[in-house]
Amino acid sequence: MAHLLQYVLNGLANGSMYALVALGIVVIYRGTNHLNFAQGEMALLATAGAWWINDKGVPLAAAILLAAAIAFIGGGVIEFGLIRPAGRKSPFAVVVVTIGLFQGLNSFTSLLFPKVGNGVKFGTLFPNKPADFFRLPGGAIWRYERIGVLVTVLVITGLLFALFQKTKVGLAMRMVANNPESAKLAGVPTNRILMMSWGLSAAIGAIGGALIGGINANINVSTMFGVFLLASAAATLGGLDSPLGAVVGGLSLGVIESLVSNYPKNWVASTYIGADTAIAVAFLIILVVLLVRPSGLFGSSRVERV
Amino acid sequence: MTTTMQSTSAGAPKAWPRPIPDSSPLHWVFRVIGVAVIAAIAIYIGLNATPSTLGNVTEACILAIAAVALNLLLGFNGQISIGHSTFVGLAAFAAGYTVNFWHWNAYWSLVLGIVLCFLLGFALGLPALRLKGPYLALVTLAVAFVWPTVAKKFLEQKVKKNSLKGTHLSPPTWTGLVSKGKDARLDKAIFLYWCGIILLLVAYVVVRNLRKSRIGRSLVAVRDNETAAAVMGVNLKFTKTITFGISAAIAGTAGWLSAARLDVFNDTSFTILNSIKYLLALFLGGAATLLGPIVGAFAYFFLDDYLRSHAPHWTWLPGQLSKGPIASFLLGAIVIAFVFIAPFGLVGFVKDQARRVFIVTPRPLRPALTPSALDDERPEESKGE
Repeated sequence: MAHLLQYVLNGLANGSMYALVALGIVVIYRGTNHLNFAQGEMALLATAGAWWINDKGVPLAAAILLAAAIAFIGGGVIEFGLIRPAGRKSPFAVVVVTIGLFQGLNSFTSLLFPKVGNGVKFGTLFPNKPADFFRLPGGAIWRYERIGVLVTVLVITGLLFALFQKTKVGLAMRMVANNPESAKLAGVPTNRILMMSWGLSAAIGAIGGALIGGINANINVSTMFGVFLLASAAATLGGLDSPLGAVVGGLSLGVIESLVSNYPKNWVASTYIGADTAIAVAFLIILVVLLVRPSGLFGSSRVERV
Repeated sequence: MTTTMQSTSAGAPKAWPRPIPDSSPLHWVFRVIGVAVIAAIAIYIGLNATPSTLGNVTEACILAIAAVALNLLLGFNGQISIGHSTFVGLAAFAAGYTVNFWHWNAYWSLVLGIVLCFLLGFALGLPALRLKGPYLALVTLAVAFVWPTVAKKFLEQKVKKNSLKGTHLSPPTWTGLVSKGKDARLDKAIFLYWCGIILLLVAYVVVRNLRKSRIGRSLVAVRDNETAAAVMGVNLKFTKTITFGISAAIAGTAGWLSAARLDVFNDTSFTILNSIKYLLALFLGGAATLLGPIVGAFAYFFLDDYLRSHAPHWTWLPGQLSKGPIASFLLGAIVIAFVFIAPFGLVGFVKDQARRVFIVTPRPLRPALTPSALDDERPEESKGE
């Protein structure tokens, strides 16, 4: 039992990071109905920025917040300068632009911050000395750092929920997600809302990237690639238009990954299933879930009229 | 049909754009010239190029075949796949393994690769029946993500090495490309080059004929509106799964060619990044056009190659920019810029420009109708495709 609890706790920590990047994907998907392939690389650039600001002597927490603020503006600029005009060109154009951004932003990061190209040390916001843990009854240990990451994710989700449900901007965002045409007719400044969605998503990505950097104690240009894939899987599992789904999807993906990579050790299956194939098993589970619920656990399905 | 239209066609005919009836002698002249120019370039390269150039063109052919396969699925049937690197990898592994360990004939391994890819593609087409858009993209992305781990397990368990040797396809004697020693490398390169060109041609013809057939029309109907297509009597399940299968099988030929060209390859040779390359090549050339993926693949491959070899030496770039992965950055920037210059790809762009000079008008539907009645309808119909 202690082992089980331990694996779940480890999984929750990884899962929180997937959940944060997945939240960014969902916020953009709700607004524009496009999967943003550049989400991970946007987070990478922002995280590299946070590292650079921190390197100049600013405390890490302030550096991350500053980077998130810059990312908010940068996300808006990307929407305004690239995504919106591309959307007017052809249906495929936005997909191509995000793929192009994926390619361009990654190398842009190492051009702008050459040190990040080779990997740099990244500090953490939470205490992570060897003795910084909390022992649960049964022997499982819960490191403060992992608690901190999980709490951060839950706090951000709570803030997002409050934003969507309790503020006028959130109401406008929900309107645009629900029906852009009607939202426009009702006087919602659709374009500005979309810009804000992109900015919000980039800022969430910046915080997610900083947490990932903290847990790995390192960032490099390929950090975000795998995380993005898992995060998009998490977002799909939860339903691409549901923020709650992104969090549930991210956390459960982390837990599944952790359990699958640790449990079959004593089984015959261990030749085929193990740490390196945990992701494959996780994807298989997602596939099965999607077959039963084609728009994810919490996603809304749309009825098509002809 | 209306009086205004009759008045324009009855008056002095506009010189440009000039209408060319489909399959008229003039149209055939254009077609023959086009084919002859392409054939001449292909033969010229085959006869004169160095082994490294031939190798590059072969590599571009591999990319083009994969892009043609993706075009059938995404361009014509509207099903996105980021998993095509898996099919390419599967066929390459099948060829490498059967040739090196079971001592198969390399050509039989092509058949095996195509069959395996068709089956896997067909199987992937089944969940695709229920999933749409980004959800399908994710499932195919997952397949591409899982492939390297499966390949790694396969290498560990079956091959007991961390890489697989290529098929070392050698030219048969009737080609006359059997010189020994110094020329052997050139001969092999020439042979692989022609293999690449022929497989690309076959892939093109298969997709072209499919597109122009009854199945092709149902493919496009499904892409444009699934529900409407189903109401019209298109068998959705059959059409979608079979398209996935055929597309995967075509991608498999690209994998077989890779296995013939590469000396060694391993689990990291066919990753998501390859899939993204196929997508970019397709969009660069123009999705949902027959020639688009081929033009796009060659443009992408040689642009990438040029930037990789030249961009690091551009001293006129300011300071920091001349170092680091500038080639990769410029490639991303060019792709994005391209979306704005030519949103429907290179082929779409050329078509738009050509339309200012001449318009190919469709053949009359029923020859029994009077030609003058048809003339009036032509300008409108020519806008299609």
